[in-house]
Parts: sequence; C-alpha cells; structure tokens
Amino acid sequence: MTRLLLPLAAGLAAVLWLAAALAVLPPGAWPARPWRAETMEVPQILLAYGLMPRGVVALLAGALLGLAGGLMQAVLRNPLADPTTLGTASGAQLAVVAATILAPGWLVAGSLPVALAGAGAATALVMALGARRDFAPVTVTIAGMLVGLMASAIATALTLSQGHYLLSLVMWNGGALTQQDWTGVWRLGAVLLPGLVLAALLARPLMVMSLGSGAARGLGLRLVPLRFGVLVLAVFLSAMVSAEVGLVGFVGLAAPAIVQGLGARTLRRRLMLAAVAGAVVLSLADGVLLALAALGGPDLPTGALTGLIGGPLLIWLLPRMRSRVPTTAEEGDRHAPRAPHPGRILWGLAALTVALALLTLIGGRGPEGWGFIAPALRETFLPLRATAILAAASAGALLAGSGAILQRLTANPMAAPEVLGVTGGASLGYAATVFLIEAPGTPALAFGTAAGGALALAALSVHALRRDMAPARILLAGLAIGAFAGAVLTAIMASGDRRSWVILGWLAGSAGRVTPEGALALAALALGLLGALLAAARWLEILPLGTEVSRALGLRLSRIRPGLVLLAGLATGVATMLVGPVSFVGLMAPHLARSLGLVRAAPFVIASWLIGALLMVIAAFGARTAGYPYDLPLGLFATLIGTPWLFVLLLKRSRS
Amino acid sequence: MVTDGRRGPTRRALLAAALAVAGGARPAAAATPRIAAIDWAMAETAMALGQPPVAIAELVSFRLSAPQPPAPGTVDLGLRGTPNLEALSLTAPDVILSSEYYSFVEPQLRRIAPVFSRNLYTPGEAPFPGLMDLIPDLAAVLGSGAGEQVRRDVGVAFAALAVRVAGVADRDCLLMEMGDARHIRVFGDDSLFDGALRAMGLRNAWSARTRFAFAAPVPLERLADFPQARFVVIGDVPPQAERALRTGALWNSLPPVRAGRIHRLPEINGFGGIPSALRFGRDLADALESAA
Repeated sequence: MTRLLLPLAAGLAAVLWLAAALAVLPPGAWPARPWRAETMEVPQILLAYGLMPRGVVALLAGALLGLAGGLMQAVLRNPLADPTTLGTASGAQLAVVAATILAPGWLVAGSLPVALAGAGAATALVMALGARRDFAPVTVTIAGMLVGLMASAIATALTLSQGHYLLSLVMWNGGALTQQDWTGVWRLGAVLLPGLVLAALLARPLMVMSLGSGAARGLGLRLVPLRFGVLVLAVFLSAMVSAEVGLVGFVGLAAPAIVQGLGARTLRRRLMLAAVAGAVVLSLADGVLLALAALGGPDLPTGALTGLIGGPLLIWLLPRMRSRVPTTAEEGDRHAPRAPHPGRILWGLAALTVALALLTLIGGRGPEGWGFIAPALRETFLPLRATAILAAASAGALLAGSGAILQRLTANPMAAPEVLGVTGGASLGYAATVFLIEAPGTPALAFGTAAGGALALAALSVHALRRDMAPARILLAGLAIGAFAGAVLTAIMASGDRRSWVILGWLAGSAGRVTPEGALALAALALGLLGALLAAARWLEILPLGTEVSRALGLRLSRIRPGLVLLAGLATGVATMLVGPVSFVGLMAPHLARSLGLVRAAPFVIASWLIGALLMVIAAFGARTAGYPYDLPLGLFATLIGTPWLFVLLLKRSRS
Repeated sequence: MVTDGRRGPTRRALLAAALAVAGGARPAAAATPRIAAIDWAMAETAMALGQPPVAIAELVSFRLSAPQPPAPGTVDLGLRGTPNLEALSLTAPDVILSSEYYSFVEPQLRRIAPVFSRNLYTPGEAPFPGLMDLIPDLAAVLGSGAGEQVRRDVGVAFAALAVRVAGVADRDCLLMEMGDARHIRVFGDDSLFDGALRAMGLRNAWSARTRFAFAAPVPLERLADFPQARFVVIGDVPPQAERALRTGALWNSLPPVRAGRIHRLPEINGFGGIPSALRFGRDLADALESAA
C-alpha cells in the first residue's frame, strides 16, 4: 500500500496539471517544437511559457526541498529538521524583504546571493544554539522555529513600514510558482543535478557518521568538515528555491517522512527518494491549486498550501521519533548559582521597574527634541502616556508570568508562550474577526482574539494533554499550531485584500490603541496572575523534578498540569491582543530571572513577572520615541532589544 | 520647549455643535479651524477646499503620492493606523478628519478633538460618488463656502478631460499595478480610478468583481483575456520585475504590449480623494495624448 503511495500521488498530480492545461488549449492546438514566441497564439504561449515551466518548476523546487530536508535530517539525526523548522527559509525571507525595501538594487541581478546570505546566517545561528545541546532534535527544532518567528516578525514590520513593493513581497512570501518563461527551470535544474550528485557522494560518510562519533572517528572520518559541508549544501539548495519562487514551507519535512515509510535500505537511496517525494508533494499541491483556479477559484500561492500541511505533519511525526532519540540530551541547563539574598534582588527589580515607568512617564520626545513634559501639557499627556505604559507593563508581566509557568512545567528553558501556539491561535481569531465583521470595534476584536487563543489551547489540550504530556510534545504541538496559523495568515495576505493591512498592523503590535479602561483591565489581570503564581509556587517548585517525584509528593498531575496550561494560555491570549503575537518577553524574562540566581519557585516567578513588566516599559519607551512621531511596533521593539541578548545567554556554555 | 497650543474653546465648541447635527449643514464660525487629518482622502479634499490641514498622518509617504504638496510646516502625525496622540494633541486641532478604516482609534481621537469620519471605501461599491459628496459636506463642517463651487470645478475639469481623450475612447483601459514579473493588481469598478475613467467617458476593461479597489494579485496570464485593451500601468515597477518583463515571453506576446498600447503613470494614491482622481485623469490624458 505504502509503495503505491508515491506513484499514485504522482499520477494524480499529472492528471491535475493536464486538466489545467486542457482548460487552456485542446491537445490538437498545442504548439509544435521548435517554439517561436513571435509567431505563437496567446493560449499557446500560456501553455508553452506558463503552465509547462510551472509544472517543471514544481517538480524541481520540490525535489530541491526534499533533498535539502533529507540532508538536514541525516546530518542532525533529527526527523524534524527541514528548511522551515531550522529557520533557513525565514532567514532568506527576511534578507529578501529587507533588500527589496532598503536596497532594491541588490536584487537586480537576482535574489540568490541575498537569499543565500540570509538563509546561511539564520541556519548558523540555530546551529550555534543547537551545538550547546549536542543538536538534540527538539531543542534544535524549537530554536529554529524561534529564529524563524523572529525573522518573520522583523520582515512583517519592514513590510508594514513601506507598502510600496508590498505586492511583490506578498507573492514572494506566499511562494508562488507561476512562471512566464523557462529561466526559472534552467536555474533550478542547474542546481538540482550537482546537488543530487553531491548528496549521493556524501551519503556514505553520513551513514558512517550515524554509527556514532566514536566509531566514525575510528574509521578516519573528520566529523566537523563533513557536518559543515552537508549543512552548507542543504542551505544552498533551500536558498535557491527561496530565491526563485519564495517561501515554500514544510516540503522538506514531508518528503523524508514519506520515504521513511517506504523502507529504503541505504541512506543514498533514501536521499534520492526524498527528492522524488518532494517533487511529487509540491506538484500535487500545485496541481490542486491549478485545478482550483481553472474551475474559477482564487489564485492562491502554492507555498500557502504547503504551509498548511506543516502543523499536522509535525504532530504526526512527534510520537514516531521518541524511540530514536536519547531524552537526556533534551534536558535543560544546570541552574545558575543561587543568589544569597533573593529578597533584595526582588525589591531592587520592583524599584527599578517603578522608577523607569515614572521616568518614561514624564520624559520623552516631542517635535522640539528630548526632554521632560512641560507643566502646561501634563493634563493632556500624562493620561495618554500612563495608559500606554500601564498597558505595556501589564502585557509584559502577563507574558513573562505564563513563560515562567511553562518553563517550570516543562523543565525546558526554551518554553515560551510564543511556542505554545496560543499567540498563533489568537492571531487567527483576530484575522477572522477583521474579515467577518465590518469595521469591528475593540470589544469584538478582543473577543475574537481571546476565542482564537482559547481554541488553540483546546487543540493543544486534545493532542498533548491526553497522553502523559511530555514536555517536548507540548512544545512541538504548540509550534505546530503556530506554523498552521502562520500559513493561514500568509494565505490571507496573499489574497490582497485591503483588510490584510489591518492584520499586518496588528501583527506588529502597538500600545497606542489601548483605552484607559483596557489598560486598567490588563493591569488587574496581571495582578491576578501574580496572585495565582504565588498560590501555585509549591507546585512550580516540585514539577521540574519530574513526573515520578511529583506523584510521590502527592501532586495530582492530571489536574494541576491542565490548570497551569490554561492559566498560561489565557494570560498569553490577553497580552497578545495588545502586543501582537511575537515579543519573546515570555521567553526572555524567565531566563533573566534564572541568570540572576533566583532558583526557588516563588522568587523566580515574581522576578519573571517583574522583569517582563520592566522589559515592556523599556520597549514601550523605545517604540514611542525612536521614530517620533512614528509609533514603532511594540512587540517588534521588545523582540529587537531582548533577543540578541537572549541568544548570547543561550550560547554561553553553562558552567556546571 | 513645547508651547501650550490650546486656544479658542468657543470655536471648538461651535465645531462640536456643527458636527453634532450629522455632518453639519450649518456654516461654522468665520475663523478657519485647525485641521488634523488621519485619512489621506480627507486631507486631499480639505486641501482642495483651500483649507490645508496643519497636521497629516504619514506625511512622508503622503508627499510621494499627494495630488498637491502639503503646506510647508505641516506636522507629521505618524502612522495612519497608530497616529501619535501626543503629536496630535500638540497641534491642538479643532477637528480631526478620519474614515471608517481607522475606526478603531476613534475613541482616542475623540478625547483630543471632535472627529469627522465617513465611510469612503466599501468593498463592491464605487467610491467616486461618495467622494464627490464629501466635498460640500466637508466644506460645511469646516465652515467653508467653497464646497459647491469646488465640486462644480471638478465636474468641469473632468468634462474637459473627456474632450481631450474622446478620440481614443473606443478602446477600454485596463488599469494595473505591477507587483513582480508574474503578478499584477488590477483596479476594478470599486476603485477610485474606475470612477475617474467613467467621468472622462472611458471604460474600464476589467469587469470582474474586485475585492477592494485592488483585485487580488492576478497572475500575468490573465492579461491574455484583454487583447483589445489599453494597458495603463500606475506607479513604479520594481527593478527586478522591470528586468524580467523586458525578456518575458508571455508579457511580450500580449497584443497590447506588441502594439505598444501601454501607458505608464506616476505613483498616485489609489485610496485618495477626488483630487487624486483628477490627477489620475490629467496624467492619463497626458499619457494618451503623447502616445497618439
């Protein structure tokens, strides 16, 4: 049955393509070789220079992605690796978007150099993070998807700043395979052939490497150059696809997974089959869209469709990988040395937060430059600023609080609300509201966003909570939901509706839109969360010690875990409404708290909560003043000030 | 450093009263009100009425596509979606011009000054008549007596343009914006430019429903359905698309491209007011005449 899968899918893809081709021209009127564009009828040109190269490009791009995914999975021994999950594709996206807006001249000769630089930089970052944990699959995947999220967030903000070239960006972000001549085919083909040869040559040493580093070294293999070379090849193949057709997600994940079921014996055979499977998957996806468009449906970019399969695929793959991966490699950092006086640190943090909030309340930037508020303006300005600062600080505290819960719950330092998928679900809820209701007000948007977050949470519960809720499972399930939400949003953007601007604006997040009532409500919720965290301090102390210890100490895990997940999810959903889906405050704040030496649960959660508020106060000030009078996106600013620091922290080898 | 810009509460009260009677048919006080504009179509219309706003949102981009340059010293209010409320307060406006598109910030705007807002662009509806009506309505709100006169002038200007292009009115125009070498956007019958075309006695070749003034990104091959049309490309073409179009087999095989029936216009705000429509009309007439 599984053996027939690939040929059947290939046949179906061919039938779909043929249907689209026949809708253009009956077979008798097809152009005869040699083609001369000057003498051909328009439908003949559509076929010979549109549909035919498109079909071939789908095959080639799919094969390239399948091969790249196969190589990445082989070298990292990680069944979840592919150009999408390792951040490679998003790195290329950010580079191309930035070049399109800031230096369009760089793209005149083609996007490949720019895409390659971005893809390489993002992958290098993920690998540097992964190397600290022996390339443990789940950790590398989470690091990759975080880097990808960050790159996409910056790309979104850049897109937002200039609508000028938006159309080309939207199409590129969506991964459109439409062609108007054969140049794309030649370019991709010229890369695929040497790529296949190189992969075949590398297969044998890779196989030896999979025996284990000791055995490989014994056989005279130099591991570092081998790993590096294979990764460079995979990144190059993926960047080539990005440069030519844009973002096409998850084909590199799907292809090797399909091959896994076919029972190929050697790695060389698996790699070649991965290329074939990738070609079939992408052709099938493109065929479906072609047929849809031929029937009068919308013209969606193909990448948006393949993005949709990514989330379910990740969830499906997850239980299948457990047996092959040593779990010890996934465990978190050794804790930093304990601070002797946690109380003093907490008071210091609280004082710093309040002081900064007050300082940014009266200080700022106006048309005349920097300075403090003039007395005459206090009445107008103070309420405006107080609202924004309070809202930002509360959102930061909410995100950081839920990040602290998740990190304790999963004993994984990479856990964060962004990773939980709640922000992704909330984005979908917001988008749905914008499209379903004409000119929606704040209450409608708030309800839609919270409902989206809650739905994501429900989906997560069904999948992850049902079984014993392994930390890795819940994180990846969350990321899968996030990836799914991202794919839907891309499809919405690609539909070119003006309302997509509203969503794009929200994706970047802003404090300027909050009403005083909204800010007070957020503050009340943040205080409520702090209370809940303190009440749950004992559980949070015990949970990281593991299931057995927790049970032995009498914790009723079946209730406590879902309860805590729900709390984290709701807190995230509320904060997301304000700052947009990406901020990384929920990831950063608990890290900072730990690095201050706050190990016990109660000081740790309080410090996380405070640091979250502090970070957001700083971010809000920066967002308000850096580009005066242009309010920069709050979430983006928080990401930009915090993430580089976070990466440095993760890169530092833990001294244990 | 910053001066107190508050002034004239009586005038503001008067304006609030004028706004309260639904669009305000009552002429307001004699002094010209200080106007802040979030929506560009509103800003353009106020400028056409001879009352340029003292502050406009996204002034940097507005300058690039505005039908007439904003007055020197105009204050930038930041992004249209998230206007800077502090900068807005500093300009001490008597009235803030907005549209339904920014309805989510209206509560905050209303705390600063009375807001005049309209539904200008609705999916599936031609915006042109509403934008024409906006001229006298806005004039009434701003206490300007010029409303009907400006509206008549616009009608006269379009009639003159119709005479100029009468010789080429036999062919439909396909209005588009280039995205990349394979995708375009087409302006349909719910776009500002469609209204301008009609006012000039020309026809839009694109009759398929569009989603919101721009059709969804359309693959280039759909252009093959319009062998008889004139192609009107609005705005700049991205450099990499320009290069790919020069060599592209499909693009160069399209009958209008082969026959040279392709006209390029500069960047014009597709969501602007009647002044933008008029500028589009003039640019199009110039382009058609220079090609003839």
